[in-house]
Amino acid sequence: MSTRPVIDVSELPHHGFDTLDTIWWGNNLLLAIETSMFVLLIATYFYLRQNFELWPPPLAQLTAPLDPLPDLGFGTANAILLLISCAPMIWADVSARRGSQSGTQRGLLICLLIGFVAMVLRGFEFRAVKFRWDSNAYGSIVWFILGMHMLHLLTVTCETLLLTGWSFVREFDMKHRVDITALAVYWYWVVGIWMVLYAVVYFAPRVS
Amino acid sequence: MTEITGTAGVPPASRNASTEVTAKPSNSAFHEVGRDGRDPSEDEREIKELERVWACPPGIYGWFTDTDHKAIALRYVVTAFVFFLFGGIEALLMRIQLARPESHFLSPDLYNQVFTVHGTTMMFLFAVPIMTAVGIYLVPLMVGTRDVAFPRLNNYGYFVYLIGGILLYVSFFLNTGPDAGWFAYVPLSGPGYSPGKRVDIWAQMISFTEISALSGAVVVIGTVFKMRAPGMSLHRLPLFVWAQLVTSFMIIFAMPAVMLASSLLASDRLIDTHFFNPAEGGDAILYQHMFWFFGHPEVYIIFIPALGFVSSIVITFSRRRIFGYTAMVLSLIATAFLGFGLWVHHMFATPLPQLGQSFFTAASMMIAIPSGVQIFCWIATMWGAKLNIKTPLLFVLGFVAIFVLGGLTGVMLASVPLDLQIHDTFFVVAHLHYVLIGGAVFPLFGAFYFWFPKWTGRMLSERLGKWNFWLMFIGFNLVFFPMHQLGLKGMPRRVYTYLPETGWASLNLLASLGALVLGIGVLIFIVNFFWARRFGAVAGPNPWGADTLEWSLTSPPPAYNFQRIPVVEGRNALWDQSTEAPVVVGLSSTKRETLVSSVVDAVPELRYELPGPSIWPLLLALATAETFIVGIFTPWAFLVGAVLTFAVFVGWFFGNPNYENVDAKQPPDETNFASEDLRAEEA
Repeated sequence: MSTRPVIDVSELPHHGFDTLDTIWWGNNLLLAIETSMFVLLIATYFYLRQNFELWPPPLAQLTAPLDPLPDLGFGTANAILLLISCAPMIWADVSARRGSQSGTQRGLLICLLIGFVAMVLRGFEFRAVKFRWDSNAYGSIVWFILGMHMLHLLTVTCETLLLTGWSFVREFDMKHRVDITALAVYWYWVVGIWMVLYAVVYFAPRVS
Repeated sequence: MTEITGTAGVPPASRNASTEVTAKPSNSAFHEVGRDGRDPSEDEREIKELERVWACPPGIYGWFTDTDHKAIALRYVVTAFVFFLFGGIEALLMRIQLARPESHFLSPDLYNQVFTVHGTTMMFLFAVPIMTAVGIYLVPLMVGTRDVAFPRLNNYGYFVYLIGGILLYVSFFLNTGPDAGWFAYVPLSGPGYSPGKRVDIWAQMISFTEISALSGAVVVIGTVFKMRAPGMSLHRLPLFVWAQLVTSFMIIFAMPAVMLASSLLASDRLIDTHFFNPAEGGDAILYQHMFWFFGHPEVYIIFIPALGFVSSIVITFSRRRIFGYTAMVLSLIATAFLGFGLWVHHMFATPLPQLGQSFFTAASMMIAIPSGVQIFCWIATMWGAKLNIKTPLLFVLGFVAIFVLGGLTGVMLASVPLDLQIHDTFFVVAHLHYVLIGGAVFPLFGAFYFWFPKWTGRMLSERLGKWNFWLMFIGFNLVFFPMHQLGLKGMPRRVYTYLPETGWASLNLLASLGALVLGIGVLIFIVNFFWARRFGAVAGPNPWGADTLEWSLTSPPPAYNFQRIPVVEGRNALWDQSTEAPVVVGLSSTKRETLVSSVVDAVPELRYELPGPSIWPLLLALATAETFIVGIFTPWAFLVGAVLTFAVFVGWFFGNPNYENVDAKQPPDETNFASEDLRAEEA
């Protein structure tokens, strides 16, 4: 069949930021999946709450503190830390767009550090919940929420590690600059979803 | 609606659309070119290069690493079909067992495993994957691109699915097949009533298949949104592709629910959490909510792609443009939305508030409207047309008949009092098989007959096809129609036998004979398949005179799909094409390059290099397998799995040091300029 060239694309770029690139779509669709999962998890939290007269339920042992609410300290510290972490990520994000390698690297390194600290703090957050996962349904759902978010902290930190590594060891090429902006979206999402989960885990029991 | 005539089925096109497309690209990033005076040898050189660049690595290594969407999709189709046969054999075993009262063909325990594995197989290993598979084959071809948006994710999805299927069947043959029903309700499936590993196998198999379905959905949406050929704006998207797109979005919002439900169930069983344990504040009904929040959309996830098949077949065999394109698209979307508001009608027998029940009854009845709109649009398309009655169309007509019946019993079941009466009886079994076999399997077989020539280059036999259809159609109705009556007479589902005094024997025998006929029908399809592979008539590019882009290519299509990306001139791409087909030039033929375009209007944006064959997707699937399978026995598997997964990602990320994408290293400002320019154009 004879054909007739009508469009010449030989001068189009190879990569573009945000909605231009497929990676932006892939990344956001995966985040949509995870968002659905967290929405269902929050629904589960409130569904289970209906089965309890007191939420969290009172502790059975006499030696235990009377008030089994989760301690606010580590959770709040972590929430603030994660909020602050958006700044270096924005720095890395903007630098990647501008093509500034050093800015990107510094931003990513700070985020990496914060990612590790946040995971350590999360460890203490588990202990701030006065129940184990196998004590009762309250313990189960709170541990599960903290754990699922922990998993995302781990994933996003590992991804940051890989891209930071690339920016030092390999070239600062267009493809990976686009990747860094996609990573930034993931990072903001991890922080943003935590704000909601933080409110649920720590304040839903305080508002009766 | 324009009547399309023409002897060879290739209609004279209406060309009013062509000017619009060719006039559009006018900014600095790309420009119109005139007729190119390249000689044929240049063409040949280009094809040779494309063949070399897009070739699959040889041998078994190639099989594991290939990223060609067509190869992966065919593997998917064959694997899912094999699972369909397994599921069918299980169905036959059940029918043998139920053919007469007090039969001892299957023990009660084996019967439980058989019906659970049958349901699980048909829903998770056959119906969803095979619909995705057909989409993965056809979507890139129909939108005019060279591969899917995420070829390696695609490959990963297949392996994860395969491993999940093998897990289920290995355990079944080891007599540890799940036995708590395909939806594994707690408390029966909980640690108290189902000790052992059977239900854990089920829960982890769910994780595998859902990961695979979710990756498939991301792949399809990415491809549809970003890889369309110029000119194929959203309002020209073939209905098949619309159906796949809508389904993929449903998967993204529905599948997480079942993954969560099965994970919570697994953690109740393995690490003693109490999500579904009422003694510690858990809730058994919660499980049902989560399962059906997925489970009802699931029906539409299976059914909507089938609507896409039906539209393609109806358009082709009535040789007409579809009646009410916009109404069709809106009905697909409406069905998807309403599909999320129906789940509670599976739970009418649980203590729910009356108001809630009324809401879900209303929603369940409302969903008949968009389905009805589509049926009427198809009828209007076929009305008065010179129908080309070939096997694909026969299956579609069979679908309409059976699906309407299934829809009617659906409306009946949506009413709470009736539902309470026949809950958990064979009436429900009849209804769901009318909907799923009528709504999905018949269109699927039609799709096999329709696209088989494209997949293999040969035609399936029409004569065997007619036998196949009639045996399946008659057999199907013989099996499942009597079940309505059995259900009304009170025969419960999932009970391994019944007493002679119940008076159910003759109808059961009839159903079992029908199952035999249905089985022979499927067998004839298999015979036809092997016959056609060897002796089938050579198909040529477009044996049916169809309208979508895949039919412009050789059968089977070359690895790179399109030598030059086509420019689409109308809704029925091939029927609207000018005699000198307009194409895109300027893509590299020395690397795996394809066009990325804007979401709504498909304006070219990037020349994007797709990743090629790689072993890492397989290794990642194996790491996933370790996590979930060993996770049945010890939670430490998750730690090991995390380490393995990270190791694989390091390899995936840093492997292949001579990165193929040489053009990725262009100066930054040039890129930004061009992309901003395009943004402005899009706005």
